[in-house]
Amino acid sequence: MKLLEYFHSWQELQLLLTPLLAGLLVAILCAALSVLVVLKRLAFVGQGVSHSAFGGIGIAAVASVLAASSGTAVSIGQGSVAEFLIVVAFCIASALGMAAVGARRSGQSGQSVQVDTGIGLFLVAAMAMGGLLVQYANTLARSRGVTEAQRSWESILFGSVTTASWADVYVSLAVLVLTVLVLWYFRRVLLFWTFDETSAPAFGVPVTLARTVLMTLLAIATVTAMKICGVVLATAMLVLPGAIALKLSRRFEVVFALSIISACTGVVGGLWLSIETDAQTGPCIVLLLCVLFALAVLRARLTSPAAASPALPAKANP
Amino acid sequence: MPTAAVEVKQATFTYPGLDAPALEDVSLTVVEGERLGILGPNGGGKSTLLKLVLGVLHCQSGTVSVFGLSPLQARQQGLIGYVAQRSEAEIGFPLSVRQVITLAASWRLPPWKSLPAAERDRVEGLIRLVGLGQLATRPIGALSGGQLQRALIARALACSPRLLVLDEPTVGIDAAGQAQFAELLASVHSKLGITVLIVSHDLRAVAAGCDRVACLSRRLHSHTSPQGLTPQVLAELFSHDIAGLAALPAASSLAGMHIHAHAAGEPCPEHDHAHDHGHAHQPAAVSLNISAPRPPRTSGDAP
Repeated sequence: MKLLEYFHSWQELQLLLTPLLAGLLVAILCAALSVLVVLKRLAFVGQGVSHSAFGGIGIAAVASVLAASSGTAVSIGQGSVAEFLIVVAFCIASALGMAAVGARRSGQSGQSVQVDTGIGLFLVAAMAMGGLLVQYANTLARSRGVTEAQRSWESILFGSVTTASWADVYVSLAVLVLTVLVLWYFRRVLLFWTFDETSAPAFGVPVTLARTVLMTLLAIATVTAMKICGVVLATAMLVLPGAIALKLSRRFEVVFALSIISACTGVVGGLWLSIETDAQTGPCIVLLLCVLFALAVLRARLTSPAAASPALPAKANP
Repeated sequence: MPTAAVEVKQATFTYPGLDAPALEDVSLTVVEGERLGILGPNGGGKSTLLKLVLGVLHCQSGTVSVFGLSPLQARQQGLIGYVAQRSEAEIGFPLSVRQVITLAASWRLPPWKSLPAAERDRVEGLIRLVGLGQLATRPIGALSGGQLQRALIARALACSPRLLVLDEPTVGIDAAGQAQFAELLASVHSKLGITVLIVSHDLRAVAAGCDRVACLSRRLHSHTSPQGLTPQVLAELFSHDIAGLAALPAASSLAGMHIHAHAAGEPCPEHDHAHDHGHAHQPAAVSLNISAPRPPRTSGDAP
C-alpha cells in the first residue's frame, strides 16, 4: 500500500499532510458555498469564473517574467501569493461582470444579451486572453532567459494538490476563515435572496449587495479550489457537494453538514486513490464526488420516488 | 379624515425601448385600512403599477407615495409586505415553513442578534393565524399550493407591514383554495386592520375579497366598489380580451358572484361545476364565466 510509505518519517508525512490539509480546507470552503450555488443555479457562473482565471493567470505570467527579468524582489511565480491575488482580483472582476449582466437581465433596463450568453462571452474572452498572455510570457521568458517563470498548462488545467506547500495551507485557511465569517455575517440576507429573489427587493433586502457578496466569495473560492482541481474541474467542487447533500435532505442545517462531509470524503478518498494509482488527484476527487452523487440519487430513488426529481430544485409550477 | 396608505398621482410609465406607455395618467388613492383590488387584463399595467408602489420602478411623470413616504423609504422601513406570484419562490429550498417566515422578521437584525422572544411569539401567532400551526416544521417545498400561499402571506406579515400587497394571489390555486384564500384575507384584515392591495386579472379574486376595485387597462377605467363592476365596465376594461362581452345580460351588480375570464380553447377550471351554476361559454376568442357563489370545500389544500 503506497499510502503507508508516507509514514516512514516526518518529512515524508509532511508530503502527505500538506496536500491533505489544503484539500480539506478547500473542500470545506467550497462545500459551504456549494449549497447556495446549486440552489441559486450558479453552476454555469462557477464554470465561467473558473475559466476566466485563465486571464488572471496570463496577466500574472507576464508580470512574473517582467518582475524576474527586472530583478524585482516581489515574486509572482507560479503558486506564489502574488499570483493568487492577481488571479483572484481578475476572477472577482469577471464574476461581478457576470452578476451585472444577470442583474440587467432580471431588471427592466433593457438587456442586450442573455445571462448565459454573457457568461459564455466572459469565459471565452478570458480564456483566449489567458492563452495568448501565457504564450507571450513564455516567449518573453525565453528571450530574457527567465526559464523558471514558464507555466505548466497541465497544472493550470487539472491542479497539483500533491505539490501543495504550507503556504497553500495558510492561504486556504485564511480564505476559509474569511468566507465563513462573511457567510455568517450575511447569512440572513443571502438566505432570503436565494430563496426568493423576486420578492426580496419588496422586503427591502439589498439584493445587489447579496449578489455581489456571493459572486465575490465564489470567485475567491474558485481560485483557491484551482490549486486542488485545476481550472477545468474547480466548478465540480462548487457544485457536487451541494447537489449530493440536497439529494439526501431537505433540512438546511443537515444539507449544509452533508455538503461539507461529502466534499471532505471526496478530497480524502480522491487523494488516497491518486496515491495508490499514481493518477492525477483533481480528476480522482471529482470522479469520486460524481460516484457519491450517483449513490445519493440512488438512495433518493429508493427511499422516496417523489424525491428523485432533477438534481437542481425545481421552481413551483403555477 | 382617513389617511392615504397609497397615493398615486397622474403616474405615467413607459418601459425603455417602447413607444406606448404601460401606464398613462393614473391617479389612485388607497385609504388606510381598506382592501383595494386592481383588476385588469394581461398587459394592462397592473404589475407595472405594483412595481411603482413597491418602488422597484419609478414613474417618468407623476408621483407615488406610501404612507406619505417614497416607496423606497416605505420599503426600507418595512411598511410594505409583499406576496409575489407563488411560482417565483424557490420551493425546493431546504427551509422549514417556520424558518421562511422567521427570516422575514429577522433579516434586518444584526448578525450577532437572534430574534427576541416577543417577536418569536408574534411569528408563531402568524403561523397559527394562517392555519399552518401543524405544518410549521414541514419543508416549504412540501406544501400544497394553497398552503404555500398562506405561508407566503404569513412571511409578508412577519415584518409588521402596514400595507399588504398581493400579486396575482390566486394563480394556480383551485376554486376551493381560492374561497379559503378569500376567507383568510378577510380574517387577516379584521384581526390586523392592515391595508390590502390585490393585483389580479381574476375577477373572482378581487370581487370576493375587496372593499373597492380599480379597473386598469393602461389608464384607470373605474375606481368603484365590487357592486359597481357591471358588465359594461368589464366590457370596456377587457374589450381587447373578451369579445362578445356586451351581449351578456345587463346585470346591475356582480357583487357576490364568482366571475372568471379565461382564453377560449384553454380548459376552464370551473368546468366541473358548470352544470350546477348555469356556466356558459362565450363563442368568441375569450370567454367570461359568471356563476353564483358556492360553499368552500375543505379539501382545497390537498397536494
